[in-house]
Amino acid sequence: MAAHIVVTRFGMVRLSSHDAEQDAIRDREQVMTSPAGGSVEPGGPAEPPNGRASGGRGHRQGDILRLRGDVPGRVRWIGAALGVVSILGLWILASTVWSGEGFSVPTITATWNALVEMWRDGELWPDFVASSQRVVIGYSISLLIGVSLGLLIGSFASINAFFEPQVGFLRYIPATALVPLLIIWLGIDEAPKIALVVLGTVFYNILMVADVARAVPNELIKASYTLGARRWTVMRRVIFPHSWPGIVDVARINLAAAWLMLVVAELLAAQEGLAFRIIRAQRFRRIDRMFALLLVFGILGIVSDMALRMLRNRTARWARDD
Amino acid sequence: MSSTAATAATQPAPRLTVRGLVKDFTGRRGATVRAIDHVDLDVGIGEFVCLIGASGCGKSTLLNIVGGLESATDGVVAVDGETVVGPGPDRGMVFQAYSLYPWKTVADNIAFGLELAGVARGERRERVDELLGIMELTAFADHLPKQLSGGMRQRVAIARALAPQPDLLLLDEPFGALDAITKRSMQEFIRTVWLRTGVTILMVTHDVPEAIYLSQRISVMTPRPGRIATTIEVPFGAVRGPTVKRDARFLDLVDEIEDLLQTRPEGAAT
Repeated sequence: MAAHIVVTRFGMVRLSSHDAEQDAIRDREQVMTSPAGGSVEPGGPAEPPNGRASGGRGHRQGDILRLRGDVPGRVRWIGAALGVVSILGLWILASTVWSGEGFSVPTITATWNALVEMWRDGELWPDFVASSQRVVIGYSISLLIGVSLGLLIGSFASINAFFEPQVGFLRYIPATALVPLLIIWLGIDEAPKIALVVLGTVFYNILMVADVARAVPNELIKASYTLGARRWTVMRRVIFPHSWPGIVDVARINLAAAWLMLVVAELLAAQEGLAFRIIRAQRFRRIDRMFALLLVFGILGIVSDMALRMLRNRTARWARDD
Repeated sequence: MSSTAATAATQPAPRLTVRGLVKDFTGRRGATVRAIDHVDLDVGIGEFVCLIGASGCGKSTLLNIVGGLESATDGVVAVDGETVVGPGPDRGMVFQAYSLYPWKTVADNIAFGLELAGVARGERRERVDELLGIMELTAFADHLPKQLSGGMRQRVAIARALAPQPDLLLLDEPFGALDAITKRSMQEFIRTVWLRTGVTILMVTHDVPEAIYLSQRISVMTPRPGRIATTIEVPFGAVRGPTVKRDARFLDLVDEIEDLLQTRPEGAAT
């Protein structure tokens, strides 16, 4: 397999340098052992105090797997390509060799065909719209609450004291455990689904935005005061802009949880939606359709992630690490 | 700014008056620690005064109280006879680091105080341009702070504090995070700024030669509780070059102050 070849090639590169090391060790051992017994002798070459078994002092560091190390662009591209190839390879293996009666996996082509079929049937688009709408509405509410409360909690110790125990407690209640309650209170229409998206993400948003707001340097706030800014001006013109890129990052991270909540909501009660369609497909054992829908979720995630990343880079050029 | 002479007209009224200043901090278990113990301090109009002491002697706390960022437990701080109750643009402040708005350009950073004061755009621009000139930053007006060196960032911070034309410039170890070479050029630079603008400066530092080279008067603080041990008049004129650093009186003064900072049992550790 391609993966193995490249990996071994990297290994071989390391090996060749290993050989050099081995030679060096051998040479040294000869020097050491020749004058009988061979511990440290006064005239000999200075030995590292904690004599390492290699040529030269210190441990040689690898190039590819160096902690926090940068790798050349070429290596990054190869890595990414390998990642894609390996998952596709796994899929192909699963759909051909491993696929059987109980464990049935559709081929890539079958999945693609199912996707095209659903699109032609005209159900994919309305499902997509229905699901996206729930996430967009629910997650917007969650962000609105999360950002405003988070900024306040991160900026004022008194507000923090008020909310800390509540949020700390509430966030450990799994939002999905609220589903029966939400159905009793809000029925089975859109409201409980949106509520679930809100409840499943809002506490994380609050806490993480609060952390972002806490990261505003004290000096920045102090300097603003001595420039004549008042409390509200500091909030609006210093804490908010400084927190903005962090807020977008928080939104990006927790968006995944919003989709998770949406799926739970649609699995329980829905007339349309991507996750509802998965349940439907299950009833007819259309595993190809289920795979196609999973694919849609994945692509949706990547696209929204990229969009938010772009928003961050466009609106906060100063926070880009280039 | 134009608060007419303080009531007692015996001497020229100082710009800054600190009288009987006390600051206690209450720990978690209710124990109070006295950080500043009955400090008196005067800074005259146009004077350059340094407050020197080891870390933890309360000098930064004192500066924060003068800036209005912290409140005193007891005592009075007044600028031109008016009691300080909170922060304001009449007392510009410069910190050691991290105080520029990273999303604003150099010019916008400097203009921020003027913007808050409601200064019209045209006038703002003029003032910023002037400051950019004094700070030798004209070529960097449109740069973001992250594109600047440490010394340049501090120059922007100083320009920004000077923009609203403060009565008093408070510097909290402004060169403490800079390398030795940059630090030296920044010292020259702050002297030039002081001579050119005539602004009154109170600066906190723990660098003895720096304090002597820059200021006209040095208040030496000793810790636990923070007190002003002595005030020393620096025997050099307002205009002085780096050669004074080799003057015998300069070197004697360094020894004298360093002894003062070290004789105290606890303050000795650096």
